[in-house]
Amino acid sequence: MPALGIITNDQTAVFQRDVIAGACEVAASRGYSVIVDSIAESVRSPRAISLDLRDVVGVLALADAVPVDQLQAMLRRGIPVSLVSHRVPSLPIPAVFTDNVQGMAELARHVIADCGCRKPVYIGGLSGQIDGAEREAGFRRELLRHQISPDDAIYLQGNFDADTAAGAFQQVLASGHEFDAVVAADYLMARAALDLLRHAGRDVPGEVVVVGFGDGAEAQAAGLTTVAADIIEQGRRSARQLIGQIDGLHITGTTVLNVRLLVRKTSR
Amino acid sequence: MISRSTAGKATHGQLRRHNLQLLLRGVYQGLADNRAALALHTGLAKPTVSELVAELIESGLLVEEGWGSSTEEGGKRPRLLKFVPAARNVIGLSINDERVLGVLTMLDGRMIAQHTIDLTGIQGQAIVPLVIDVIHGLMAQLDAPLLCISLGVSGVVDAAEGFVTYAPHLDWQNIPLARLLLDRFQVPVHVANSTELAAMAQYVFGLPDPVHSLAAVRVGSGVGIGLVIDGALYHGGGEIGYLQVAGYDDSPVAAQQPRLETVVGWPYVVERMHALRQRHGGSLLPESEGELTYLHIRHAAAEGDAAALALEDELCHYLSQVFAWIIGLLRPDHVSLAGPITDLGEALLNQVVRRTRQLILPEMTEKVTFSLMTSPHVVAVGAVARALQLELGLV
Repeated sequence: MPALGIITNDQTAVFQRDVIAGACEVAASRGYSVIVDSIAESVRSPRAISLDLRDVVGVLALADAVPVDQLQAMLRRGIPVSLVSHRVPSLPIPAVFTDNVQGMAELARHVIADCGCRKPVYIGGLSGQIDGAEREAGFRRELLRHQISPDDAIYLQGNFDADTAAGAFQQVLASGHEFDAVVAADYLMARAALDLLRHAGRDVPGEVVVVGFGDGAEAQAAGLTTVAADIIEQGRRSARQLIGQIDGLHITGTTVLNVRLLVRKTSR
Repeated sequence: MISRSTAGKATHGQLRRHNLQLLLRGVYQGLADNRAALALHTGLAKPTVSELVAELIESGLLVEEGWGSSTEEGGKRPRLLKFVPAARNVIGLSINDERVLGVLTMLDGRMIAQHTIDLTGIQGQAIVPLVIDVIHGLMAQLDAPLLCISLGVSGVVDAAEGFVTYAPHLDWQNIPLARLLLDRFQVPVHVANSTELAAMAQYVFGLPDPVHSLAAVRVGSGVGIGLVIDGALYHGGGEIGYLQVAGYDDSPVAAQQPRLETVVGWPYVVERMHALRQRHGGSLLPESEGELTYLHIRHAAAEGDAAALALEDELCHYLSQVFAWIIGLLRPDHVSLAGPITDLGEALLNQVVRRTRQLILPEMTEKVTFSLMTSPHVVAVGAVARALQLELGLV
C-alpha cells in the first residue's frame, strides 16, 4: 500500500492531532497508509526530520515544520507536497487554510455589533506565522469597519500558547487597564484568559466578553464563543489536495475553508 | 456555453431537457413536492411527469422522502420529492487583475471550498495555466460529480462563444477561454463579464425580496455594469470605465470630462487621497500610500477627517451620475454597488443615492431600492448562479 508522509512539529497538540486524524481518514478511504514524523514533541529538544522520502508518495507538511530548503529538495525529487496552514510564497506548493479573514470578521462583528464592546484586548498568535498574522490583520480591519481606531485596542503576544497568553493577560488585569472584550487568535488562549477573569471575580459576559478563533472540546466545555474552524475537515481536505497532486493534478495556490460563528455563554 | 443550438423548432431532446428542467425547478423552488402537484403546476401529463421524475431520481437530482397528506377525497398519500443539493458540484471562478478566486459549491450555492492564486506581477497568457491550477485545486475537493465550470472575467466577453475579447487589466486579447477549458476538462464551460455575474449573484442569492430587474455597478481598479432583466443576464453590460463623466468642481480634472475609471478606480483614489491629505493636513489617514485602504477612508470620514470627506464627496459626484443614467434609461427595480469600494459602507451609498435623486425626476427613483454587495466572492458566486440557470434551469 502506498504511503503518505505527514511531517509535524508535535502530533499530540490539538491542531496537529485533528489535522492528522482527518488526513488519516481520507488516506484510508483512498488506499493509502500514513507515516507520521513528529519532530518536536519535546520543545526543548526538537529533532531533525527523519521521514525517508523513498517510503512515501507524497508529503503533508503541517504549519512550518519543514524548512524551505527541505521543501525545495522534495520538489526537486518530484514528490508532491501540500502545506497545512502555512505558505511559502517562493515555492509553487499548494496549501490548505481555514478562512482567517472571514472568521476574524465574524468574531469582531459579533463582539462589536452584537455585544456592543468598544475596548477590546487582542491576544495574538505567533506574529511570524501566517494564521497569526492574517487573524491580527483581519481584527484590525474589522475595528476600522466598526469605527474603532485599531490603536485603541490592547494587543498582547500569546504565541498560540495558553501559558504565554495567560502570562501576558495577567499583566493587563493587574495594570487596571479598562477593557470590555477579549478576542484571542485561538480558543485555547481565550480559555486561558477566561479562567483568569473568572478567578479575578470578573463577570463574563456581563462585564467582559471573551471569544476565540477555532473550536474544540475545551471551548465547548468552557462555554466559549468561537468561530468553528473544523480542523479535522482541514485535515481531510489537505489529504485530498495531496492525493489530487499524486493523481496528476497540477495545483498551486491556496484552498480556503469556511468557518462559522458559535455563540455560547461567554458573549451576549 | 460555447456551443449553442440555432433558433427554430425544438428537437425532441431539447423538449425533453426543457421539461426535465421545468420539473426540477418546480421542486427546487418549492412550488410542488409530488408527482401530481408537478403535473398540475407544469401542465404536463401525469405519465410524462412520472417518466421524467424517474429520470431525475436516477440521476440523483431528486429523491423520494416521506409521504404527503391524502386529498380531501381520500386516496393514496403521495410520495414526496426532494431536491438533492449535494447531487452535483459546480466550480465558479472570478478572474481579475489581483487574483483568480474559485469556489466549489453545491447546487443550492452552499460553498464547500475556495481556492485562490495571487496574480501580482502576472499578466497575459501566463494567467491561463494559473486558472487551470485553481480549477485543479477545486477538483481535488469534489464531493460529487462536476456539473460545469463557470467563469467571470473583468473585461469585454463574448458570452455566447465563451471568448474574452479584451481584458486590459489582464493584458488579454482574444482568448478562447471556454474552448481551452472545455478541451481540457470535458465539462460545459460558461464565461461572462464579472460585473454581469455580480448582478446575477445579487439577483439569485442576495436580496430578501425578489425583483424583476436589477443593475449592479462594480468599482475596483475599473468600473463595470451588470444587468439582470426578468431573470435573464443581459450581455450588453460589462466595462464602462471608458465612459466620460462631468468633472468635479474642485478636482484637477474639473475642466475636462474625465473617463470614469480614472476618477473612481482605486489607483486614482490612492493618488487623490494623497493630494487631499496634503491640502487639508492633520489627517487621520495612514502616512504610507501602501497602507491605505477603503476602510481607513471610511473610518477617517466618520471621524470628520476633512481629506476623507472631500474624497467621498468626489466619489459620490461621479457614482451618482452613473446611477442616474442607469435609472433614467433602464428603470430597474434595484441598483447594487459592488466591488472593493463597498468597504466605504452604507454612508457612501446613502450619499450616492441622495445625489442621484437630485439628478433625475423624483418619480424615477421612488420605487428603486439600493444595496451594497459586500461579499468578496460575489463574482464567483454569480458564476455559479449562472451555471445553475444554464445547465439545470433552476433560477
